[in-house]
Amino acid sequence: MAAGTATRVYPFMPGGAADGAKLVSGAVALSDLTDKPRFGLKGGGSAAWLAAQGIPLPAVNRMGEHRGMRVLRLGNEDILLLAEDAGETLVQVKAAWHAATAPKGYSSWREEGWAWMRLSGPRLAEAMSGLCALDLRPSKFGADDIAQTRVGHVEAVTFRSPTGFDILFDVTASAYFARAVAAVAGHTDQHRGLS
Amino acid sequence: MKLLTCPMNGPRNIDEFQSFGPVRARPDPNATADRDWSRHLFRAENRKGVVVEWWRHVPSNYFFLAERDLVSNEILRTFDASELRDRA
Repeated sequence: MAAGTATRVYPFMPGGAADGAKLVSGAVALSDLTDKPRFGLKGGGSAAWLAAQGIPLPAVNRMGEHRGMRVLRLGNEDILLLAEDAGETLVQVKAAWHAATAPKGYSSWREEGWAWMRLSGPRLAEAMSGLCALDLRPSKFGADDIAQTRVGHVEAVTFRSPTGFDILFDVTASAYFARAVAAVAGHTDQHRGLS
Repeated sequence: MKLLTCPMNGPRNIDEFQSFGPVRARPDPNATADRDWSRHLFRAENRKGVVVEWWRHVPSNYFFLAERDLVSNEILRTFDASELRDRA
């Protein structure tokens, strides 16, 4: 049976909707990476500015890599840098962006607006098929692919991470999303007679 | 499940989309009589045939165009808005 953990869920505000929210662990595990560094640029000039910094940009809905950061192309002029283990590189990029003159796009404020969660565990595929209508099998959905779709009834961006799937969505839905994943994980357990 | 093919994201549940109505010429407010202006604002066309509509894929906030048969409700084609702009 999926048990709750004491992991902090963002946005963290005493008495807020996410206060006391539990993330499932076990055969299906959810972890919150919302406090990890990331930076999103959007609008005219974003792609050109990033390219001028020597950051290689992948095609739309594909993911690339630059000095330990993952580069997500969510649209022609909508790019997100994820720096889970490359915080210092990201600090340099952000400092250069703040110092630059326009056109350079505008900050899409993904570090505040989006929650970042990671789904993993031995029953990952089963849980993900209950949460998302897309065919995410490795033969159809590669390591560099990005899906902008709905996961757990929430509009989300999802892609593969080394241990599972990363999911980005509106941070205000994090408690709801945690419950949706817990429900699917519980159902998966029951289905297998493990509850 | 009804599917709609987004030009950027591929085939998706139509539930992921929002319709923004037909593409219409925008009248010049300085050269349009009140009568024509109110008609533009308050009257919807109700004809048979094929209409070009604005649609939005909500999770990616991507706006595109779709040709839809108003009788059969079949979506004939979806395409990026730049195609219409390039044609004009």
